[in-house]
Amino acid sequence: MLELKNLKLSYGTSQILNGVNFSVKRGDVVSIIGPSGTGKTTLLKCINYLVKPTSGTIDFDQIRMDYARPDKATIQAIRLRTAMVFQQFNVFKNMTVLQNVMDPLVVVQRKSQDEAREIALMELDRVGLSAKKDQYPAQLSGGQLQRTGIARALAVRPDVMLFDEPTSSLDPELVGEVLKVIKDVTSSGITSILVTHEMQFAKNISNRIVFMDAGVVAAEGSPSEMFDAPANPRLAQFLSTELETQ
Amino acid sequence: MFNFGILLPDLLSILTVVPRTIAMAVTIFVFATILGSVFTLIEHRRIPVLRELVIAYKVFFKGVPMVIAIFLAYFGLPPAFEFIASLVGLEINGYATPSWVLLIIALVGCLAAFQAEVIKGALNSFDTGQADAAHSLGYTNIQMSRRILLPQIVVAAIPDLATSLMVTMKALSLGFAISVVDIFAQAQLTAALNYYYLEAFVVAVVVYMTISYTITRGADMLERSLRVW
Repeated sequence: MLELKNLKLSYGTSQILNGVNFSVKRGDVVSIIGPSGTGKTTLLKCINYLVKPTSGTIDFDQIRMDYARPDKATIQAIRLRTAMVFQQFNVFKNMTVLQNVMDPLVVVQRKSQDEAREIALMELDRVGLSAKKDQYPAQLSGGQLQRTGIARALAVRPDVMLFDEPTSSLDPELVGEVLKVIKDVTSSGITSILVTHEMQFAKNISNRIVFMDAGVVAAEGSPSEMFDAPANPRLAQFLSTELETQ
Repeated sequence: MFNFGILLPDLLSILTVVPRTIAMAVTIFVFATILGSVFTLIEHRRIPVLRELVIAYKVFFKGVPMVIAIFLAYFGLPPAFEFIASLVGLEINGYATPSWVLLIIALVGCLAAFQAEVIKGALNSFDTGQADAAHSLGYTNIQMSRRILLPQIVVAAIPDLATSLMVTMKALSLGFAISVVDIFAQAQLTAALNYYYLEAFVVAVVVYMTISYTITRGADMLERSLRVW
């Protein structure tokens, strides 16, 4: 369904992505794990072109693009079929929770206010935020902000959900409510790619794990292959330090 | 002896120029803000060449005292107008340009540099993560600006914009140098007739304070009604 080939990206002299190959099948829930600074988030943001790789290609169903020759219409086509949940939530501060979820439907998808509201209310119910629909972001907790972000992403009915460290900037006691919502989303069958440091969670919800190290995919496999018997020594080392700190 | 009896006639005399002063201040403010926004946009978009010109412009106009800019406009613009007109084959008398027009041009020139910084500050207060989120959902730049960026930075800029409106109004008193009559100049002229200088300037202070208090309150109310979040 989605395939990235030989993705490369550098900022100045530092090479962030070093020829990444990465693919996802429809219905997959793929978690990307790995040490900080190895390009996990960058890889995810290459998919919707929030960061600009210097070379590589993307194949997304019938959509195809060479990153060396980016094309506005193709980028837009990909963006219309994906939705991202951000580490910093990035909800629109000048809008209420309901408006945040409705706005892309009205502005981008040109749905009527009534139709947008109906969809938005349904998604807010799904993430348990119906009671907060008329609040502004400044009045919400981190967990509520992130659930707003998830509802906003779900409302556009994306083919692929991109989760960028969705719980990394949450207070520990708020992580649970967000993970619960993500678990609910991924188990509904929507194709999802998740960058995370929550190892146990990744193991539970994913059908495939990708381990990134130094700007490349260093290992990938099923959760049991990756967590229970890691063949890659870097992965084994990473997992042991991660599990220690958790 | 302070002459209380002269205060009312002084006030009435000064009030006659208040509409003109406010009209000039608002005109300058509007044009300076538009020009400043264009400068900020050029810098923000990193448009080559234009960007360097904007930076040079800002260095010049932030550094030069406004009164000098006013004199430069007063002596420099009339011949410049004549020269430009001659290029397209027209013969005009540049020296017939009213002083108040030259004053407005000079102050727009100076204040645009300051407005550019005000707007840049408001723009920098916007967290770009929201723009990323909008783009990831398929918003175009224009849709993102209209729905998310502008509503937030306009509100963020209101207090500074109100301050610069007041700075503009006060800067008009420099127009006295080229015989444009504002509140300050009218106080001076009124006093010149009756020699009650202290009284005239006390009245001028009261008028300035009333206007600036009104602007401040208005800006506060506007900000509160727009900052719904």
